[in-house]
Amino acid sequence: MPVFKTPFNGYSVKFSPFYESRLAVATAQNFGILGNGRVHVLDLSPAAPALTELVAFDTADGVYDLAWSESHDSLLIAAVADGSVKIYDTALPPTANPIRSLHEHTREVHSADYNPTRRDSFITSSWDDTVKLWTVDRPTSVRTFKEHAYCVYNATWNPRHSDVFCSASGDCTLRIWDVREMGSTMIIPAHEFEILACDWNKYDDCLIASASVDKSIKIWDVRNYRVPIAVLNGHGYAVRKVKFSPHKRNLLASCSYDMTVCLWDFMVEDALVGRYDHHTEFAVGVDMSVLVEGLLASTGWDELVYVWQQGMDPRAV
Amino acid sequence: MATQSPPSPSSTAGNPPTLAAETSQQATGVQQDGPPEAAEQPISSPSVFVNSEPMREEQVQNAVKFLSHPKVRGSPVIYRRSFLEKKGLTKEEIDEAFRRVPDPPPSAQATSANQVGQVKSSSSNIQSQAPTQALQPQPAGAAPTAVSPVSTTMMSRFHWYHAVLAVGLLAASGAGTAVFFKKSLIPRLKSWIRKVVLEEEDDSENKSIAKPSLAEEAAAAAKAAAAAASDVAKASQELLNSKNEERRYFSELMNLLDVQLQEMKSMSNSIRKLEGPSNNSGRTSLVNQEDHRDSVTGVKQPYANGKADFDMQSVRSSSPPAPGEPSVAPHPKSYMEIMAMVQRGEKPPNIRDINDLPPNPNQQLPNPRLAPKAKPWEVGQAQNASGQVIQSQVSAEGLNFKVQDNGLNHQSDDDSSVPWWQRKNVKITEVGEDEIKAGPYSVRTNEPPVQRTWVPPQPPPVVMPEAAEAIRRPKPSGPTEQSTSHQLASQTSEVTDELQRITKISEAGGIEEIKGNGSVQNSSEIQEEQETHA
Repeated sequence: MPVFKTPFNGYSVKFSPFYESRLAVATAQNFGILGNGRVHVLDLSPAAPALTELVAFDTADGVYDLAWSESHDSLLIAAVADGSVKIYDTALPPTANPIRSLHEHTREVHSADYNPTRRDSFITSSWDDTVKLWTVDRPTSVRTFKEHAYCVYNATWNPRHSDVFCSASGDCTLRIWDVREMGSTMIIPAHEFEILACDWNKYDDCLIASASVDKSIKIWDVRNYRVPIAVLNGHGYAVRKVKFSPHKRNLLASCSYDMTVCLWDFMVEDALVGRYDHHTEFAVGVDMSVLVEGLLASTGWDELVYVWQQGMDPRAV
Repeated sequence: MATQSPPSPSSTAGNPPTLAAETSQQATGVQQDGPPEAAEQPISSPSVFVNSEPMREEQVQNAVKFLSHPKVRGSPVIYRRSFLEKKGLTKEEIDEAFRRVPDPPPSAQATSANQVGQVKSSSSNIQSQAPTQALQPQPAGAAPTAVSPVSTTMMSRFHWYHAVLAVGLLAASGAGTAVFFKKSLIPRLKSWIRKVVLEEEDDSENKSIAKPSLAEEAAAAAKAAAAAASDVAKASQELLNSKNEERRYFSELMNLLDVQLQEMKSMSNSIRKLEGPSNNSGRTSLVNQEDHRDSVTGVKQPYANGKADFDMQSVRSSSPPAPGEPSVAPHPKSYMEIMAMVQRGEKPPNIRDINDLPPNPNQQLPNPRLAPKAKPWEVGQAQNASGQVIQSQVSAEGLNFKVQDNGLNHQSDDDSSVPWWQRKNVKITEVGEDEIKAGPYSVRTNEPPVQRTWVPPQPPPVVMPEAAEAIRRPKPSGPTEQSTSHQLASQTSEVTDELQRITKISEAGGIEEIKGNGSVQNSSEIQEEQETHA
């Protein structure tokens, strides 16, 4: 399985929704504390398992997250630690990039997510407690959602309802928003500790997974949100990222500070169905490919990016 | 979007009209480009993503009591809201509680402690809006600290009270031990000393009066030594006893401390439960919340009269439960070094000065080269069609390309081998329920869109008998969650190689044929197949 070594610590990895073999990696120098950042666009060569770099973009501050555009195959959104949101055109050389730099957040932008149904807008969440809605063609944000009492670590669009998204915050709540409404439409006090990530189930649009510092992942049904449907325990430390499978209704992947990437089936009693401990530092980013079933990618603070098929050993040669 | 009649401020929960009415009172700083949207029901059916439960009066009253507490009054509104949200109150309940509690600005006049009054007037709402908005920038500014400001203020309050309590108790215990020592130990010491002195005197007297022999002297000395030793033993025994008593005393003190803590906790609980403010300077519920956060899992705050707002007992949880309190993950050594460096104010050496601003801020957005692909979960959905971008012939052809691609083959350069990442392992084919390999067929095809069907690529003019046979292989029995066409998909994945050859031929053979009717015979075969399965 191919490995790519990044010069900086990895923070996020995302598969392209247009090209099966393409993925982008967000990295930050010095663990993201203080330093530059870099966005790598990598390509999987079909013959031999190898990852090659197509292009890389340097940033003044660390890049915490990426989102590929769903409307333009070469556009990439980067969430940067200096509060800016940068748009890159991967078809242009680095000297012509970024094509936009949107600076409205007053603190680090922690996540970016592109709308998969409407394909015209994206949301970014920041440590300044807000979530902002943008379109690629506008120089300013369309809306700002300010209700959380602490950093918003993640915001993700609902895969079926083009106006609904969910946000996960350090104030220990999940909030569901509708862009047509003024404020949040639902507040779920999901954990006792900070919630670091959330994701919607792709096949049941009412299910949300939340990952928290309390080492657990909880699955919530918004129709009955007082009690979680499932609590997935098994990680040794905070769970950093969670992602529902685009191909299987019950499958989700997660990565954690315990350096492992785990696969779960939340409808089963013994939910942990796979564990990969290939990283030697915090595993911070994980993604499941929409175009290739079973293809996983992960990155971590050990400066490595792995791409592998579910069921195989990521470190196998 | 259907519009509704002007909403009343105290309408039932869960309706967007209520939301819109309350937004004028809400202390949220939501900015919008245009004018705020009027109250409406955006979709004809109620959205699932809105909380449609009726307001719970009990929760509202608890919240009102919480908000009326003087300590809570002094805290920023955002933290009061956050606390109530964490307790599981819905937005409507929180807003109702805020409405019921007159919320004058903290710098203004004395607060009246009426919690029960239903203050519906807009004046109070405007009042609450102004100070809360003034408070907004404060928490926003104070938020960017490493530790939550809530916890720091709560921690400081906690520490203050705790410190006072600890000092008082220590003083009391010190005084107690001093008294204890004075009363018991010192007299004992004195008596012991006196005894020894007396014995010495006795011994000397005995020695001076009588003229004992050496043996007698020795015996006397031995006796004295023995007596002294026994006295020492006694004294040390008494010291030990006193130490034990001390220990007991201190443990009693600890128990007292705990009892005091419990009392404080119950005191603050009673603040909420009973009418009227508590007499003690008990800590607020915020502080209790801090306790809650620090304590081990499972400690439920009896805020809502013992009702668990969010039940930790889940329906399903995986085997070894290691939930609950977060232990800080060990950070890599270099991370700690860099943190230390940064905290000292030094800059790590390897940072470059990079200008990452756009070189041409007016750079044109590129034209999309590829049409967006349908997501696997969007198969058969009406939304799918709207997402497709129907462009020129080129992109439509690209679309077709994707159809055949179907995740089976890498289209660009390498046609000879299967990309290594496509190699499906056994696991995936076994669990074939949700396998949906679909291309965006809703755009171009005139086939009836079957629910969740994997549309096989149009077969080439040259029919490969083995492949056709494989396609027509009977599907396995057994219930699946979705329709039976999934099993068709799982079947076809087993004959991946053969189908790949078909796709290659079809790719090479001409896209026109595929777009058109192609070989009528085979397409009708496949349609038959679909009809039987549908």
